[in-house]
Amino acid sequence: MNHISDPIERLHRTATSTRDMVIHTQATRWEMFAKASTLREMIFEPAPPLEMSVIHETGVAVRLTGHGEAGFGAASGLETQAARVAVEAAESSLTPLPFDPLPPARLLGCTTVAPSRQLPGPSWATHVAETLTRGVLKASGSTLLIRRLTFQEGTYAWLLATGDGFVASQHDATLSMLVELGLRDGARASHHEWVWVQRPDDFDPEAIAAQICNRAILAGGPLLSRDGLFDILLHPEVGAHLLASLSSLFLPTPEDTDPLTHLLDRNGRLGSDALTLTDDRSAADCPPVAPCDGEGLPTKRHVLLDHGVPRHRLACHFEAQLYGEPTRGGARRFSYRDYPTTGISALRVVPDPGIPPAQLLKDAGKSLYLLRLVGPVITDKANDNFHLRAQGVWLDGGAVEGFQQLVEVSGALSLLLRRTEAVGTDLAWYQTTAGFVEAPTLLVTCQRVGS
Amino acid sequence: MNDFKQEPAFDHRWLEALAQWCKKGQEANAGLVDLYLERRLELRLHIRRNAQWIEECRTEGTAVRTRTDLRHEIVAATGTSPKTIAHLLSGPLDTRELHLQRPLPPPDLDAPRGWRNTAEALVEATSLSDATVFLFERRAAIIRPGQWQEIHTPLLIRLQTPIPSSSSLLATWNHAGLTEWAPLVSASPQHKGWQPDSGEQLPVVFTAGTSGVLMHELVGHLLEGDVISNGGSPLDAGEASIVGPPTLFVTDDPTRFDLPGAFSSDDEGVTAEAIPLLEGGIVCGALCDRFTANKLGRTPGRGRRAAWNRAPVPRMSNLVAAPGRTNPEALENDQKRGLVVTRLSGASVDPRSGRVILRVEQGWELRHGRRRRALAPFDLGGDVLGILRLIDPNLGNDPTPDWRLGWCLKAGLTLPTGSEAPTMLVRSLEVV
Repeated sequence: MNHISDPIERLHRTATSTRDMVIHTQATRWEMFAKASTLREMIFEPAPPLEMSVIHETGVAVRLTGHGEAGFGAASGLETQAARVAVEAAESSLTPLPFDPLPPARLLGCTTVAPSRQLPGPSWATHVAETLTRGVLKASGSTLLIRRLTFQEGTYAWLLATGDGFVASQHDATLSMLVELGLRDGARASHHEWVWVQRPDDFDPEAIAAQICNRAILAGGPLLSRDGLFDILLHPEVGAHLLASLSSLFLPTPEDTDPLTHLLDRNGRLGSDALTLTDDRSAADCPPVAPCDGEGLPTKRHVLLDHGVPRHRLACHFEAQLYGEPTRGGARRFSYRDYPTTGISALRVVPDPGIPPAQLLKDAGKSLYLLRLVGPVITDKANDNFHLRAQGVWLDGGAVEGFQQLVEVSGALSLLLRRTEAVGTDLAWYQTTAGFVEAPTLLVTCQRVGS
Repeated sequence: MNDFKQEPAFDHRWLEALAQWCKKGQEANAGLVDLYLERRLELRLHIRRNAQWIEECRTEGTAVRTRTDLRHEIVAATGTSPKTIAHLLSGPLDTRELHLQRPLPPPDLDAPRGWRNTAEALVEATSLSDATVFLFERRAAIIRPGQWQEIHTPLLIRLQTPIPSSSSLLATWNHAGLTEWAPLVSASPQHKGWQPDSGEQLPVVFTAGTSGVLMHELVGHLLEGDVISNGGSPLDAGEASIVGPPTLFVTDDPTRFDLPGAFSSDDEGVTAEAIPLLEGGIVCGALCDRFTANKLGRTPGRGRRAAWNRAPVPRMSNLVAAPGRTNPEALENDQKRGLVVTRLSGASVDPRSGRVILRVEQGWELRHGRRRRALAPFDLGGDVLGILRLIDPNLGNDPTPDWRLGWCLKAGLTLPTGSEAPTMLVRSLEVV
């Protein structure tokens, strides 16, 4: 497909076309964001056919501002035609706005980031599928098999340019896979594992097979149901989704509806001393690496929670203006079609120093280990409560007592965070509805558990 | 009601030419299934206490599906131009002739005149200071070897508030109910209300369109072709299995253009027709795309795409349960102790376990037929077959559309759907 063969060059041509067209509008300032991406998805099942999808997507978004008005337009495609449609759409949506939505030029800049990642060769997926299939059979003693294996390979390039002369661009690749495991006798439901492949060259399918089998095998024990107050351990995936549901605490919000103030204790703490959270998309080892945020502010490591104390809130320029806060960065674009909004991009738990997960499970005593969520984590921050449903295993000194198919954990959100007493060292990235989150096993004491 | 017409979104002569090329491709045994073209307009009006702004988004894309015994493939790309189509078809077809064709430029998709005033009035009716109104317009065409069809869907309006505990609204543009529904959006749940004890089994009256959501989960999703063909549907004891009361008639009807899930033909080119799913409580149909229809020996017509870059999968359109003859108040009056649900904030069904969860947002405790304490949000649950069997045969005579939960999520992809159902009584449901 030649329309993605040299995306950066096409993105630059789109910026030039946008500039040429904006001249004929009433706008005094403008910004253009253009993106080209290709996503290839391959689904292997034990028997043919191989299911495959390849999606090439390009688009451009333009923000115009001037004379107390602002507009946003987005259009499919790149270069002259798409730029024309986007500029016209932005012009037709011009609306009076009491502030300038575009960040001032002095705030814009780029951070040096790691070079872009490359996708593996075409036979990599087939090789991994075969090795992983064998690895799962071996690690599970032939009790588990892979029912479906989905590889997602993506390449993307984007360019952000403004009328002030600022230009930033990035191109990168991402690789992940979704493994659907089932018991050989088909007696119980399937288990899904999402795995982000950071470095295909170092990827060890056998180690991954052992890791994903461990969790699936735990769910195969005798059934046991308990109610009451217990210490709980959260598998990294459960922890990641829980933290994602809390991410709005670190985003700008009108002062009179800010839930954070209700959740702090008298010492200004939100969480326990063990809990430190950062958001950093400039780090080389995170899935979305970028030199600047969605509005052009240089990316950096934002410490959101420092040993339980809230330190920093993200705020893109637009929302900062809207809520009367200072601009702090963190603008994110879900796609070229979407207006930049504040959001976490790469939220991570910082183990300081962290406890090896095996020791954490062993030391926890009689506890419930939540293996995977059943449905979303529901949080009501204004009323300080949460509830989640999950599958879990009951442990006693690290030994499995039984498996509970559906357990509900609920209570005060503030106590959940303040009782997060230990974090593991087994960090793993997960894709959540709020963004990418890297979490380890978490130990939370004294939580209400119901069946 | 299938008299909804829009102006053509694509040059018909060009579509005919493409259909002929696809036919040649099929004859050359290239495995070509179909070619899908789509254009969308999405307008968003954001209203915040100190600012208003508009976003206008125009997208278009093309997808080609090919299918052989060894490989099922979909390749999609931005744009609907001859160049894009030629690139996508270059695998299965000789596209040299295609480059010589020049379709007429398509007319722009335009928002209805005065849409912004309507949107502002809608937000004003909610009495909320912060809200976003979305307007969605979609035009598509499906080309199969030797034939083509334009796909028309209704213009949709969605009202969403940034407050987590508040509702959203989805309806067809200019629906008569909009003025009545908009003020209800801001009615927040009674967090300090009463909650029944977990594990209690109580009779529950589903009113104000909430029974449509119940039917959507219990009947609609579990009769989707992919769920059946994966062996995951508890309703798949074969057609003619009795699952509900003899008064229960449920149909999936895409020709109801007053409901959000309407279309003139599905995204695989099957002309829209209502499909009866339950007749007198007996399973009598399934919702299939062409692939699952072929596999299960059923009728296709529900292959729907979440976007141009997604393959069609079996999905519902508008689920309509026929009304009964009972005054809905009588269903409440007969309850010595029970619940009445007036609003659900969500619902889900797990086909494998056959368990459904309904998140109650608003409702009342019933005591001796009278509404007493307001309900705090909580969950109801149960086994699909058990719930269907416990639906009281006396159905309300008040068919009511649901305006809240139209964005149906399946496998991470959302689609607009609609429902209309009368007040229903489930004689026993478990408080989760």
